[in-house]
Amino acid sequence: MLRVRWLVAAFMVIALVAAGCGDDGEDSASQDGGGGEPIKIGASLPLTGEFSEPGKAAKEGYEVWQAMVNDAGGLLGRDVELVIKDDASNQNTVVSDYNALISGDKVDLLLGTFSSLLNLPASAVAERNKMLYVEPAGGNPDIFNRGFKTVFFAQQATADHQGDVWANYIAELPEGQRPKTAAYPTLDDPFTTPTSEGIEAILKEAGIETVYRETYTADTTNFDSIANAVKSKKPDLVVAGTQFEDGIGIMRALRKVDFTPEWLYQTNAPSFGDQYADGIGAENTEGVFYAVSHSQEAETPGNPEFVAKYQEMFGGETVPEDAADAYAAGEVLQATVEANKTIERADQLKLADWLRQNEVETILGPLSWNENGSPKGEFLIGQWQSGKAEIVLPEEAATTDAIIEGYKPGG
Amino acid sequence: MTQLVQTLILGLLVGGVYALLASGLTLIFGVMRVINIAHGAFLILAAFLTYSIWTAIELDPLASVVFTTPVMFAFGWILYLATVRRIRGAHMSSSVLLTFAIALVLEGVMGFVWGNTSHSVRPDYFNESYTIGDLFLPKAQVYGFALAAIVLGSLYLILTRTWLGRAIRASAFNPQGAALVGVNVSAVSALTFAIGVGAAGAGGSIVAVLYPFLPGSHYQWIARLLSIVVLGGLGSLPGAAIGALILGIAEAATVTYISPAWATAVPYVVIFVVLLVRPQGLMGTRLREDVAAA
Repeated sequence: MLRVRWLVAAFMVIALVAAGCGDDGEDSASQDGGGGEPIKIGASLPLTGEFSEPGKAAKEGYEVWQAMVNDAGGLLGRDVELVIKDDASNQNTVVSDYNALISGDKVDLLLGTFSSLLNLPASAVAERNKMLYVEPAGGNPDIFNRGFKTVFFAQQATADHQGDVWANYIAELPEGQRPKTAAYPTLDDPFTTPTSEGIEAILKEAGIETVYRETYTADTTNFDSIANAVKSKKPDLVVAGTQFEDGIGIMRALRKVDFTPEWLYQTNAPSFGDQYADGIGAENTEGVFYAVSHSQEAETPGNPEFVAKYQEMFGGETVPEDAADAYAAGEVLQATVEANKTIERADQLKLADWLRQNEVETILGPLSWNENGSPKGEFLIGQWQSGKAEIVLPEEAATTDAIIEGYKPGG
Repeated sequence: MTQLVQTLILGLLVGGVYALLASGLTLIFGVMRVINIAHGAFLILAAFLTYSIWTAIELDPLASVVFTTPVMFAFGWILYLATVRRIRGAHMSSSVLLTFAIALVLEGVMGFVWGNTSHSVRPDYFNESYTIGDLFLPKAQVYGFALAAIVLGSLYLILTRTWLGRAIRASAFNPQGAALVGVNVSAVSALTFAIGVGAAGAGGSIVAVLYPFLPGSHYQWIARLLSIVVLGGLGSLPGAAIGALILGIAEAATVTYISPAWATAVPYVVIFVVLLVRPQGLMGTRLREDVAAA
């Protein structure tokens, strides 16, 4: 029996080591730049689990930002050292990670994690410790209605307004072209639900009737029945409120049940570039609309340099949106630190106040914030065209003049 | 009416695949009283192997069962000798701890080898369907179901028509009695564990075609598979098959007629109901704890 106990104990140790080693565990690195003691910046990211896709991209974005800052002489003349932990897409782990970063690793500054689900609890840890918390994702409006003073969202708009530009485009279509009915299959998630509801509110106003609205849980694997239920309602338009995994599942299921709505909008998954096309087949992406915060082709300040550096460090043609968002979060943090010339814990509320009063130029465009830390801007609208993700709205940011009118899968 | 028939078809097709996935789990429990929490991880490992074979030589993922099944069988055998054998005779809870640890290690290894990102295997037919009138049958599901039926049928024939099968059943029913009549219970246990993991190998190839997967996906599967085995009766292969079909239909019907939000609760509701109404499951027998096997 004693032997058994030892064996089990040994296995648990191996398991813990396996879970914590490799590139999934804590990662601390600094690169040559300025002199003096490096500035430690801590973040916890979902490097494993269901948000690992965006988590990995966000880590890359932070690393590009770190490299570029250090190459340019550092932050306040000091190197930047990132301390990144893996929260395994778990709300409890992300809380203990940020607590450990603040009190154990004693980081000077924080950066946010990915997804509203994880930023909701993580931002509360930062607020309790009066640490500035710039998050690269986490657009759920509830994050900003808790009276927090330290949380800032480094994208253009909160989730409930993410699809506004597209919904208004649909609402303003000529009577004959405008869809009459809509279905909203939605993941039970603090990001996707408000996005989907925000779009529904605008479309309802325009007289587009909701014929299906159902929510499924994050551990759903089988989407055929959901796709079948959507098909049975024959909606003209489908708004799929998805993250990545389920987004692939539901798109594949819609093809399997042979249902093609006239219009299709999907949250999050289509912004994953090649991974999205690989997941559902490039021929099935034609005409899919989505909201996106970053365009690789944008002439925003620093964007070409960011894209080049990303490609140099991580290869590949496409730069994931989440990497760009993470980079922008770094830019926002950098702007307030450089303007206030401090990283002291006692001054973090001052850093936050500065952000409330100023606009920051980022690769996503200029960002500015309301009193509660929610951003004031508008998202870009992307569309998959001929196997490539293009920006189609608003017109001044568009990378192509053409908008494919409707969803046209099958090549 | 079409809606109802369609729901039944989708439920049955997915239930058939669940049956194969759960078969190894119930077999391993039946013979060894080992609750194999790592079964979901074995499935995902086989799915990743299928993915690698598909990307390397473009072999049809369902045809790759001819590789994944023997590879996983061998893996199961080695794993049994290295780890599971050592907790034979220990309380069932030890097996839960041990196999949970194996699942965590496998998850870490898969993340290291293939990365913690979502993977999909897309043969030409992955999003095509057969249509009969207003009804549709997704091709991937139909092929997956057929393959699952073949593997399950073979497994059933092995168990009922061969000396090995009789030895396995005898070991499950009464290990001491089996040993008395000359069955090498230890060797049979190793073989059963390997067969169980081999079945997960075949199942994993099917899962790879039907759903996107990443190393952490095994948690979703083990919960569902355990509920199937509990419903069918721990240790009963026909029970697992019937339980799987019922669960498949119950999930599909819940999505269609109640709400997809409740679909993932179905396995847990099933466990509650079974434990309250018929703790031994549909086709299981009550465990005799008073003369528990050594």
